Amino acid sequence: MSGGYHDHDDHPSPWGPHDWGHGAPHNSWSPLVMSIGIGVFLLTFGGLFSFGEFDMWYLPLVIVGIAVIGIGLFVWWRQDMSFDGTYEPISTGVPFKHIQIRKVGMWVFLMSEMMIFSSLFSTYMRYRQGIPRCDTIFERGMFDPVTNPEGWQDGVAVTCFEPASHLIASSWFHLAPGAINTFALIISSFTIVQALRWAHKPVGSVDEEVRRKRIYRYLGATTLLATLFLTLKMVEWFIGFPLPEFLHEYNHGDSTIKSLYAEHYLITNDHYSHHSYVDEATGAHMIANIRVSATLFYVTTGTHGLHVLVGIVGLAYLTFKAWTGAYNPQSAVSIEYFGLYWHFVDLVWVLVFPFFYLY
Amino acid sequence: MSHKILGVDAYWMNFYGLMILTLIEVLAVGADLGSTAEDLGMTERQITLWILTIIAIPKFIMIAAIFMHLWGENDSGILTLTALFPAFFIIIMVLFIGLTHPDAGIGLPDWCRPGNYGL
Repeated sequence: MSGGYHDHDDHPSPWGPHDWGHGAPHNSWSPLVMSIGIGVFLLTFGGLFSFGEFDMWYLPLVIVGIAVIGIGLFVWWRQDMSFDGTYEPISTGVPFKHIQIRKVGMWVFLMSEMMIFSSLFSTYMRYRQGIPRCDTIFERGMFDPVTNPEGWQDGVAVTCFEPASHLIASSWFHLAPGAINTFALIISSFTIVQALRWAHKPVGSVDEEVRRKRIYRYLGATTLLATLFLTLKMVEWFIGFPLPEFLHEYNHGDSTIKSLYAEHYLITNDHYSHHSYVDEATGAHMIANIRVSATLFYVTTGTHGLHVLVGIVGLAYLTFKAWTGAYNPQSAVSIEYFGLYWHFVDLVWVLVFPFFYLY
Repeated sequence: MSHKILGVDAYWMNFYGLMILTLIEVLAVGADLGSTAEDLGMTERQITLWILTIIAIPKFIMIAAIFMHLWGENDSGILTLTALFPAFFIIIMVLFIGLTHPDAGIGLPDWCRPGNYGL
């Protein structure tokens, strides 16, 4: 390279870190490597499931694709991150002039995430509107070709929409894990902005040891709350929990709160029977095909849960860095950008909780 | 951010607000709204949906504006526009694809119904 600040070789090694004394990073091979990895992954992943058949011969190539993506990402991250906050690339062109490029990048990433959740929500709304609710069909009563042609027949599965909220919001005990999770996410959003606030405090205005402790404690609290969220999610989906004896009478006499799995609220269940779908007069059961409703619930809340899991990994890393005293006003952007992701996870839950758990 | 709302630190105020709104949300589901629904000529489920929607909107805005710094910062304007960009596609999806089908509001085409996937 020659001319201007390009007189120096900004990448002494083709895979090594950037020389931050000479402007913004450039000329990395990593995006090309990542693109090749993505290409290999997509081509071979498509081959894994061919016409409903699983072909394991593609599996090694899928793993190679993922590995190449990972290597490209790691090298790019190592090249482009200054790690100590001494260099934060700023956009020079409109419309993001004078704004940190990584911040804009994070927002664009979050918007792509928003599109993913929008598609999940619109699918949910469409099916929820388009398929009659199971309890509506049950209330119409037994099938009668003259008076009730769209009713149900004893023993015949009805295709209807059975929201998970019918189970979850049926008692405060069932609702408890979801409700506690909602509060946990809100508190975790608050603790992460407090960590950012302490990282932003000007040097000299606060004792550095106090800063270090406050930041890692706030980030540690955020990590614990995120872990609590996933733990309660597992309780709600798979484990359930016992109730003390004096509360049994408030739970239809049952000693445990059953998980959704134990209640057979499953994506494969086409013969589901809710305890309220029994005709008291005749003893007849209404059986429902809930595969669509359960799939919508698990895919949406599971996608959100996956984001929480990724958040826990990021939070653990940030907490460790904070423990080493890495954060100060200059390097606070790392907490800020990760915080944007974490608030987004909270934002999605603000919509998931009422419409999947309560309504 | 060092803004204040009603003399209280914005982060704390936002936190209190979100906790209270969530509590109302949960209580609204447990409350007996039958008589209110009857007075308004709606079902109890419709009333609940309205309450949940009305509470979810300010919660969404409060997190985005204050915790995500889309309010009160130098770059808030352009970043808010960036954040709203997907709304453009969502509007296209709903108005021009979803609602152009004559039965779009309540019905599903046969191929979209359970058991009719053409497999």
